[in-house]
Amino acid sequence: MAGMMPSSATSSSNPYTQYDNDAIERDLIDPDDATLDDLDDPLQSSDRAPLTGNIQSSSSDSRNTQSYLTSSVPGEDRRAPSNTIDETVWETLSRDLLAIWEKLKQVMWPKYILGGLMQRGGGIGAEERGEAPALAEGIRGIAGRWPDADVILQGGMSEGLRDWDLWGPLLFCLLLSFFISRGTDKDDRDLAFSGIFTMVWLGEAVVTLQIKLLGGNISFFQSISIIGYTLFPLVIASLLSAIGIPFIVRIPVYLVLVAWSLAAGVSILGGSGVVRNRVGIAVYPLFVYYISLGCLCLIS
Amino acid sequence: MEQPQEGSLTWRLSSHPITLLCFLSFRLSSLLVYLLGGLFGIDSFILIFIITILLLAADFYYLKNIAGRRLVGLRWWNESSTSNTTSSGNWVFESADPRPTNATDRRFFWLALYAQPALWVALAIVDIMTLKFVWLILVVIAMVLTGTNALAFSRCDKFSQATGIAGSVMGGGGLAGRIASGMLGRVFGGR
Repeated sequence: MAGMMPSSATSSSNPYTQYDNDAIERDLIDPDDATLDDLDDPLQSSDRAPLTGNIQSSSSDSRNTQSYLTSSVPGEDRRAPSNTIDETVWETLSRDLLAIWEKLKQVMWPKYILGGLMQRGGGIGAEERGEAPALAEGIRGIAGRWPDADVILQGGMSEGLRDWDLWGPLLFCLLLSFFISRGTDKDDRDLAFSGIFTMVWLGEAVVTLQIKLLGGNISFFQSISIIGYTLFPLVIASLLSAIGIPFIVRIPVYLVLVAWSLAAGVSILGGSGVVRNRVGIAVYPLFVYYISLGCLCLIS
Repeated sequence: MEQPQEGSLTWRLSSHPITLLCFLSFRLSSLLVYLLGGLFGIDSFILIFIITILLLAADFYYLKNIAGRRLVGLRWWNESSTSNTTSSGNWVFESADPRPTNATDRRFFWLALYAQPALWVALAIVDIMTLKFVWLILVVIAMVLTGTNALAFSRCDKFSQATGIAGSVMGGGGLAGRIASGMLGRVFGGR
């Protein structure tokens, strides 16, 4: 035992140096074209402060013991008193179903549009330009949001989306492939189904990889889970295609649905710690992904 | 009572017969639908695909969240950390303090846990040999799902045994347990 302790100590020092390097790197990488607006703005930081504070404090109770136990360890052993191992089957099921519903809700009402509106309406923005009537304020808020998307997107992800599951992605992917393949010839149906099924998963993997490579601090499956859940509007699109609504009606409806997916995906994934000013690059593959799936729905 | 037969593979000796039967039926049904789907009159590839995937997902969920905990007192999950530096998930292993002692449950559980991925690997080889690449998608997904569970539960088992031994030998569980979990975390959690 004693002979192994030094080795464990040396190996445990590795992650820290890595993290330090990471933090330094993050500080060093300043965008070349940074202006005063990109640097820390007291207004915006005060806007974001309660948000980050909330995330940390709400997770600290479960995280304290964990960090104490596993500050250097990627695995953890929990003993019986403080765990979920004795819960009933119903508790397990209801908790997971609630978690799925929670994620679905987050996707269906994208924070980027609605949450941003509320924040603007009641927050600093309203005080700042207090003379504007509420409706005009809201419209201007939407219009003015695209340029400073970075700021809002740095807000981070809510707690409910952190614990991922793959039920949503699986179900939506199956439904999407099923509905789209309904529209093809009988001979091609099997191939279309498996092709779309594979494409959905590979696309999710590629988009996730892109976000990871750009420095997003989101775990692989978390991102897959979120992208999978944001397929929900596209499932509606494919259902409409399977029902067979006329082509003229499809175009505007599908554009709205793709935009809905994109808004949900961007609002959740954009805040995953991608280096500032690169959110656009990180989100672009997501855009291509939704558009291509939307086109598949359109032509099926 | 039935001392000589202890640990034999009959469900009557189980202390959670319903859990065990559900577990085994989930495990087997996905395989059966995949292999024999055509015989039951389901001639559409899409239908077999969907049913098999859903059964596989249900099996994954049942094994991870219910069967593992009731049959052998183990549970794992992959918790994503909220800290701003780490990005990979955290393996969390739970074990019941007195582990369930029913030998039948244990044998059924570990046998089914390890046999299933092996069977899917064999089916994958068959599919590659016969050039059925469309079916290969399904088999690869099955391999990933069952393999993940097998890997995680075997880690979880070693983890809980090691911390248990360290705690009992060294006396004051705190420090010893932490060291053991630290080293094992390095070895088994090095992802």
